[in-house]
Amino acid sequence: MFKFSRFDPLAKPVIALCGLLLFGASAVFSQSSPEEQLPAGAAKEKAEDTCLVCHEARIIVQQRLDKAAWTKEVDKMVRWGADVDPKDRDALIDYLSTNFSPDQPAYEAPRTKADSTEKLKSKH
Amino acid sequence: MVVQFAGSLLCNYKGHEGAQRESVEDGLFVTLVTFVVVPLRTLVVKLHHRPPATRNGIVLKPIDIVVLMTATGGEVLLSRRAFLKTASAAALVPGAVGSLLSWAADSGISIPGKDGLIVRSYRFLDLETPVEFMTDWITPVNHFYVRNHMLAPTEVDAASWKLTITGEVKKPLALTLADLAKGPVREITNTLECAGNGRSLQSPKVPGIQWGKGAVGNARFSGPSLKSWLEKAGIKDTAKHVQFRGLDGVPANVPAFVRSIPIDKAMDGDTVIATHMNGAPIPIHHGYPARAITPGWVGAASCKWLTEITVLDKPAEGNFMIPGYRFPDTPGKPGEPVKPENTHSLTALTVKSLIAAPGDGAKLPAGTHTIQGVAWAGEADITKVEVSTDGGDRWNKAELGRDHAKYAWRLWNYAWKPAKSGSYVILSRATDSQGRVQPETAVWNPSGYLYNAYDQVRVYVQV
Repeated sequence: MFKFSRFDPLAKPVIALCGLLLFGASAVFSQSSPEEQLPAGAAKEKAEDTCLVCHEARIIVQQRLDKAAWTKEVDKMVRWGADVDPKDRDALIDYLSTNFSPDQPAYEAPRTKADSTEKLKSKH
Repeated sequence: MVVQFAGSLLCNYKGHEGAQRESVEDGLFVTLVTFVVVPLRTLVVKLHHRPPATRNGIVLKPIDIVVLMTATGGEVLLSRRAFLKTASAAALVPGAVGSLLSWAADSGISIPGKDGLIVRSYRFLDLETPVEFMTDWITPVNHFYVRNHMLAPTEVDAASWKLTITGEVKKPLALTLADLAKGPVREITNTLECAGNGRSLQSPKVPGIQWGKGAVGNARFSGPSLKSWLEKAGIKDTAKHVQFRGLDGVPANVPAFVRSIPIDKAMDGDTVIATHMNGAPIPIHHGYPARAITPGWVGAASCKWLTEITVLDKPAEGNFMIPGYRFPDTPGKPGEPVKPENTHSLTALTVKSLIAAPGDGAKLPAGTHTIQGVAWAGEADITKVEVSTDGGDRWNKAELGRDHAKYAWRLWNYAWKPAKSGSYVILSRATDSQGRVQPETAVWNPSGYLYNAYDQVRVYVQV
């Protein structure tokens, strides 16, 4: 168990440096996050804040829906607890229906590693 | 009951909202937790070769460990953006550590126990079986599809797990896993298919997980029959439906995944409380320590991580009964809405076949080729599978595989020797014991359920 309360003023730059170094290492060595990314756009951050709390972006980016269907989806998610400020609703629907409309090419889903179970067995 | 979720931080997130303002210090704090503490702890776990919490050979994913450690060890109160940063970075870090320690990195997302499956969603986990894997009568667990509506438990403590039977019964029961192991065992070989399988092939497109062809598999499920325990509880005359509820973690205000099946189906002796899959304790991805198996019916009728059986005097209500999992009474025009009163709850699967080989787009040399696949029909038996190699003008009878069982799919194959070079459209269609024939076009419906049009691949032959 670890707990943080206050940082010594000198510790801050050290921590930041550590963070940066490790971030660099992750960027170099990691293949990528297993979760999908949302594309750039005016409401990207709003969509991330609102939608990705409960599910990953891949559930969104694989859809190919028109504006009416996206409106239904957004309103359903609001009923289910998505925290959408009423003033952001239209921008969010625009973002989704622009990026994930029926005329976009199909989303190419990745696969799980082919031999993770074999590796698991050989380790034990 | 002890249950853990990979995304417990996510689940609890709403409770933390507004607890602490985002500030520079929070940023540093998050950086520290994410990039220093979490990787170090992960590294320590890895270096010690401590097997991460396992259930039936299913080992927690690195992300599970990281998120669980963050959730349990950090006492973190985060703002929304800070949380998202942590979550996405936490997902990144095990990748880095894994790569550093792994000497044989291969491509793809690592989900121990699930090999080469199509990732429709990582959170919540939805995995599809590629059709080329469908060459065995029994689908091995590492190739079996996974469908979750919500947060899946990563660990369930079998010792504290209980299954209650309540409602319209004379004697409510609370059963342990040991209780379930006492009575006679019923084994059912069942083809489990998600109602939304093939949704991506619907036109116009409909919302939902965009399954290709492979949200289907065939496995042996065993455990006591549901009937045997309902009889011990003594169902009352008022009993009409039996409702299942499992341990799915429900986020925000999302309606719980609760559905019911009619009492006749529950009492027919073939519906089981399955504790085993393919002869081993049921893996966590598939509902450990026990799940309902409602054979021949849409997958949603077979509740995973089962903990509550409630006998009702009417069908269950709620989102996953209405408007969820309903089908138009009569086919409408594609793209047009269907009134709720003109729909019925999904029950048994329909008649369907898939081509496992050759693959779509395959280039074939001269000679004889085996066209093969699977066919199933829910509660009915497959009586015939036909193959066309000319786009549907002429149909040839395929040979059915030796292995068969009620509720189980049937393998089929057809030997084909193309006479000349060219591009060929190969089709398959199944017929069942109820006289149903797989149609050329599936019934379009607003949620894309029960897609069962002829299966089709295009191949290029060079003689």
